[in-house]
Amino acid sequence: MPALVKGLRVVPDEWTLVGSGDVPDPVPERTILALEDWLPQRAALSGGRAGVWVEGDAEAEAVGPHVADLPLIAVHFPAFADGRGLSLGALLRTRYGFQGELRAYGDILPDLAQYLHRSGFDAFLLADRRSAEVAIASVGSITDHYQASVRQPVPAFRRR
Amino acid sequence: MYRYDEFDQRFIDERVAQYREQTERYLAGELTDDQFLQLRLRNGLYIQRLAPMLRIAVPYGTLSSEQLRALADISRRYDKGYGHLTTRQNVQINWPALEVVPDILGDLARVRMHCIQTSGSCIRNVTTDQFAGVAADERVDARPYCEIVRQWSTQHPEFDWLPRKFKIAFNGAAADRAAIHVHDIGIRVDRAGDDIVFDFLVGGGLGRTPAIGSVIRTELPERHLLTYLEAIMRVYNRYGRRDNKYKARIKILVRAMTPEVFRDRVDAEWEHLKDGPSTLTREEIDRVLRCFEPPAYPRREDQTALLAERRLASPGFNAWVRNNVAPHKVPGYAVVTLSTKLTGVPPGDVSDVQMDAVADWADRYGFGELRIGHEQNFVLPDVPQEHLFELWEHADAHGLASANLGLLTDIVCCPGGDYCSLANAKSIPVAEAIQREFDDYDYLHDLGPIDLNISGCMNACGHHHVGHIGILGVDKKGAEFYQIALGGHAGDDASLGKILGPSFSRDEVTGVIGKILDVYVDKRVEEEPFLHCVRRIGIAPFKERVYASAG
Ligand code: HEM
Ligand code: SF4
Repeated sequence: MPALVKGLRVVPDEWTLVGSGDVPDPVPERTILALEDWLPQRAALSGGRAGVWVEGDAEAEAVGPHVADLPLIAVHFPAFADGRGLSLGALLRTRYGFQGELRAYGDILPDLAQYLHRSGFDAFLLADRRSAEVAIASVGSITDHYQASVRQPVPAFRRR
Repeated sequence: MYRYDEFDQRFIDERVAQYREQTERYLAGELTDDQFLQLRLRNGLYIQRLAPMLRIAVPYGTLSSEQLRALADISRRYDKGYGHLTTRQNVQINWPALEVVPDILGDLARVRMHCIQTSGSCIRNVTTDQFAGVAADERVDARPYCEIVRQWSTQHPEFDWLPRKFKIAFNGAAADRAAIHVHDIGIRVDRAGDDIVFDFLVGGGLGRTPAIGSVIRTELPERHLLTYLEAIMRVYNRYGRRDNKYKARIKILVRAMTPEVFRDRVDAEWEHLKDGPSTLTREEIDRVLRCFEPPAYPRREDQTALLAERRLASPGFNAWVRNNVAPHKVPGYAVVTLSTKLTGVPPGDVSDVQMDAVADWADRYGFGELRIGHEQNFVLPDVPQEHLFELWEHADAHGLASANLGLLTDIVCCPGGDYCSLANAKSIPVAEAIQREFDDYDYLHDLGPIDLNISGCMNACGHHHVGHIGILGVDKKGAEFYQIALGGHAGDDASLGKILGPSFSRDEVTGVIGKILDVYVDKRVEEEPFLHCVRRIGIAPFKERVYASAG
């Protein structure tokens, strides 16, 4: 069973992700819609009822302007070695100031958690509980990194 | 050399523990082969046709005698007593058992070494001129900047899962010994008044689609180094192709976008990053620069008379000084290249005994520091001229004094079909046959500088595109054939070789090389080097001679 890590703890997943074009009517609380499905309905859905999902190669410019209306953005990783989602996450946090839940899902290897965490993701959906625990441990496996990141915007050389 | 502080040491120690845990999960069946592949590649562990191979990072080719001794020891304990110097200034060992790799990494960490990002689709070891810091033609020692980039690129949160591997090289000398024109990013370091500035070339590379990098920024001030790199990497990470690994390098993106559009994208990205927290501080630059301050050279005089006398007395020493000894910034010293290109030994292979010996010479004839060059040789950077003869005798006894540096037989060659599963053809036996055929030093010296490069397939590990003579293994209906190109060059005014024509069987290659050299000797004017001659007369005369007599 998939396990959700949020805030470095395994927590129940309260959200339901629906495929593109699959918009329930009415849209229940805590539904994650494809960005293109959410956009036309965004006035009706504001107030934090729905989140959106995008592919890792989505343009940050397409999601960025809407972050204030979104409680959750889920970024899909088609393969764990596809790092586009990392740049997208970092951009949503740093350039667009997204404050809500930034979730990674798809092919998430526990070892990617360290990168996800540092690129601004606070939630990752893993294959099972064991993977989730490994992911949490992996975030803490390196005490401090050299460069700046979303988590630590001050690079090590300014703190040495 | 860069000196680790607690931060650096803790980082590599924790990285070893992290990798150990990953290996344990793999051995326990919790990671699939494909998953573990990506993790081990980011720690330099390849599994090749015959056996695993561990690539150890030698940042920008600089290491200490203590580190080289540790490598000798590791090769003895975990390999068959051999190491291999790579064309990217690293060291590889073969046959390490997967289970013990974490222990090897632990041993390396004790001497401040690691295998981080020596393979995989991430930012690789940053390289530079093997003569950095001592070359007489140097404007700026690029190593401090390489180190700053090494640190910045190590487990970067965004850029460790790129479309493809990514190679950055710096050059701070008049001559380009770092091949910056054929790197994903090549950076030229220069002075503008009192300031250090960088020119950025992007999108060079070899492999299937060889390309010369395009200049996208000139005279970038020093403090912006990391933010500008970040802007380039972000554009590449987001837009580089991932659907086809042969089209995934940044050169393809730059070409598809055009260098101008690519540059504009980078500039737009950089607008957001410029002057942010990753902007380098004076303190940080100075902290790293201090690690690379030149040693306190005891005062010496140039030994012109002594050397002339010795050279006259010994033709072997004479040839070696002529080819393998380069001028030093400081009077009385010399830069020595110890060649690994001995006929019959695969280029770049060194034994544990040789490594220990070289480490001893680095202490005795220098300040305990040495280099690895991309031509797969060792460099002793600070040899007092009065000790050159003595060093030559030792090097000769250890098979490290081939005086062929930069000459035809100083071949750069990939492992090829003997070791590599991707090969179309063997490459080492071709190198060996050429070395055997052309073994007359007087003839080789008369020919002058010729870079001969051999790759066993179009992945171009032997950099055949930039050989003055480039040999590429091709497959012709299951048989091994060789395509020959002329006129490639990796330095300033870099160029890619032009293919002569139909390929040759292995038996024919040496004869063809002989004919190419004959044409050169016939056609050259005065001291004209081979490359210049090819550029002047074009490949037609070579083609005529080679194919006329074949038909
Ligand atoms: C036997 C094992 C080896 C295999 C299977 C192998 C495989 C490859 C492959 C697939 C590439 C692809 C380049 C691209 O991105 O298009 C490559 C590039 C390269 N390899 Fe190897 N390689 C091997 C050994 C070596 C060795 C021993 C060296 C050093 C002497 C080396 C040096 C390089 C270099 C410098 C490149 C980069 C060329 C470029 O700029 O794109 N390789 N290799
Ligand atoms: S060039 Fe080809 S044959 Fe040679 S090592 Fe690289 S992949 Fe193997």
